[in-house]
Amino acid sequence: MEKPKPYLLLVASGFVSSALYLLLYLYEQEIMAAFTRTDGWFPALPVIAALVFSFAHGAFTGYFWEVLGIKALRKK
Amino acid sequence: MEHAAVQFIDLQYGNVLALLAIGFVGGLVSGFIGSGGAFVLTPAMMSMGVPGVVAVASNLCHKFPKALVGAYQRNKFGQVDVKLGLVMAASATAGVWIGADFQNQIKLDFGEAGSNLYVSLAFVVVLTIVGAFVLRDAIKIHRSGETDAQERVSRLAHWVQSVEIPGTMMYFKTANIRVSALFTLPLGFATGLLASTIAVGGFIGVPGMMYVLGASGLVASATELVIAFVMGFGGTIKYSLLGQVDIRLALILLAGSLFGIQLGAIGTTFVKPYLIKVVMAAIMLIVAVSRGLVVPVYLGQLGQMELAPQTAARLQSASFAFLVLALCTGSIIIIASMLRGYRAGAARLEEVSGK
Repeated sequence: MEKPKPYLLLVASGFVSSALYLLLYLYEQEIMAAFTRTDGWFPALPVIAALVFSFAHGAFTGYFWEVLGIKALRKK
Repeated sequence: MEHAAVQFIDLQYGNVLALLAIGFVGGLVSGFIGSGGAFVLTPAMMSMGVPGVVAVASNLCHKFPKALVGAYQRNKFGQVDVKLGLVMAASATAGVWIGADFQNQIKLDFGEAGSNLYVSLAFVVVLTIVGAFVLRDAIKIHRSGETDAQERVSRLAHWVQSVEIPGTMMYFKTANIRVSALFTLPLGFATGLLASTIAVGGFIGVPGMMYVLGASGLVASATELVIAFVMGFGGTIKYSLLGQVDIRLALILLAGSLFGIQLGAIGTTFVKPYLIKVVMAAIMLIVAVSRGLVVPVYLGQLGQMELAPQTAARLQSASFAFLVLALCTGSIIIIASMLRGYRAGAARLEEVSGK
C-alpha cells in the first residue's frame, strides 16, 4: 500500500517558511542595516539566516514534490 | 557602527519575480549537474544592476544552504562520496579565500567596471575550454551508442589511479577510486579559486573528478554539492566580514532554488548518466557567449575601447538573450529527459509488477 501523503507537514512547513519571508519583507530596512555591519558578531547573521530559511523552506519544498507524487526511481 | 561602502539595489517586484524564476532553474541545474546555478545567477543579478562583487557574495550565501539540501537528497540515492567531497573541499576552501582577496583587490584597483570585466573574462575562458571538452566527450558517448553503459574511465584518470605515492593514498568508497591526495589538492584548490571568482567552482570540480580522478558523472556531480556547501559556507563568511552579502537577494534566490534542486536531484534517478554531461556542456557554452558579448562594454567603461552607447545597450540585451537561451536549453533538456526516463521507468515497474 502507498504511504499516505504528508499534507499536514506540507501546510505546517509552508506556514513557517512564508512567515519567515514575510518578516524579511516587513523588516527589509532594519535587516539590511544589521546584516551588512562588519563589526562584532554581525557577519554571522547572513550565515544563520541562510541556514534557518533553508531548513524551513527546504522541508516545505521536499513535502511539496512528495505530495505531487514526484519521487526518485532508483535508490541505492 | 561601521558600514561597508557597497551599493545595494532597490528591489522591484519584477526583479523579485525574475530572481525566483532563475533561482528555480538554477536550482534545477545544480541538483542535476551538481553545480552551475551560479553561472546564470551571478550575471543575471549583474544585469539587474547589482555590483559584481555583491552578486558573487549573495550567490555564495544562497549556494551553501542550497547545496546542503541537494547533497542530503542525493546522498539518499547513494550518489554522494562524502569523504571525497570533504577532501576536495579542504583545499577548495584555501582557493576560495585567496580568490576572494584577489577579487577585492581588483575592485580596489580598477573599480566596478574592472571587477565586472575580470568576472566576465573568467567566465568566457573557463566555460569555453571546459565546456568544449565536456561536449566532445558527450558526443563521443552518444556516437558510440553506449549511452546506457558504465562510463569509461579516461586515460588520464587511469594514470592518476596508477600512481602510488606512499603515505598519501586514499580510497573513496562511493566513487570507488584510490588516488593520491596530492592529485586532489590542486584540483580542489582550482575549484575554490574559480568558485570565489565566478561562484561556479563546479565547472572545474565536476569535470576534474570525472576526467582526472575517474569518478562517474553521477558521483562527481553529487559529490560536488558537498564541496559547494563547504566553499559556499567559507565564502559567505569571508564576504559577510566585508559586509558585501545582500541577504535579500540570497534568500529570494533560495526560495526558488530549493524547489529546483530537489527536482533536479530526483531527476538524476530517471535519466541516462551521460545526459549530465550534455546539459553541462550545452549550458556552459551558451553562457560563455553571453558573457563574451559584454566584455567590450566593460572595456568601454574602462576607457580601453571606443563604444557607442547604443552598441553597448544592444550588446547587453544580446547577452541577456543568450543567458535566457542557456537557462531554457538546460531546463528543457533536463525536464524532457526526466519525463522520458520517468515514463520508461514507470513502464518497467508496471512490467515487473505485472509478472
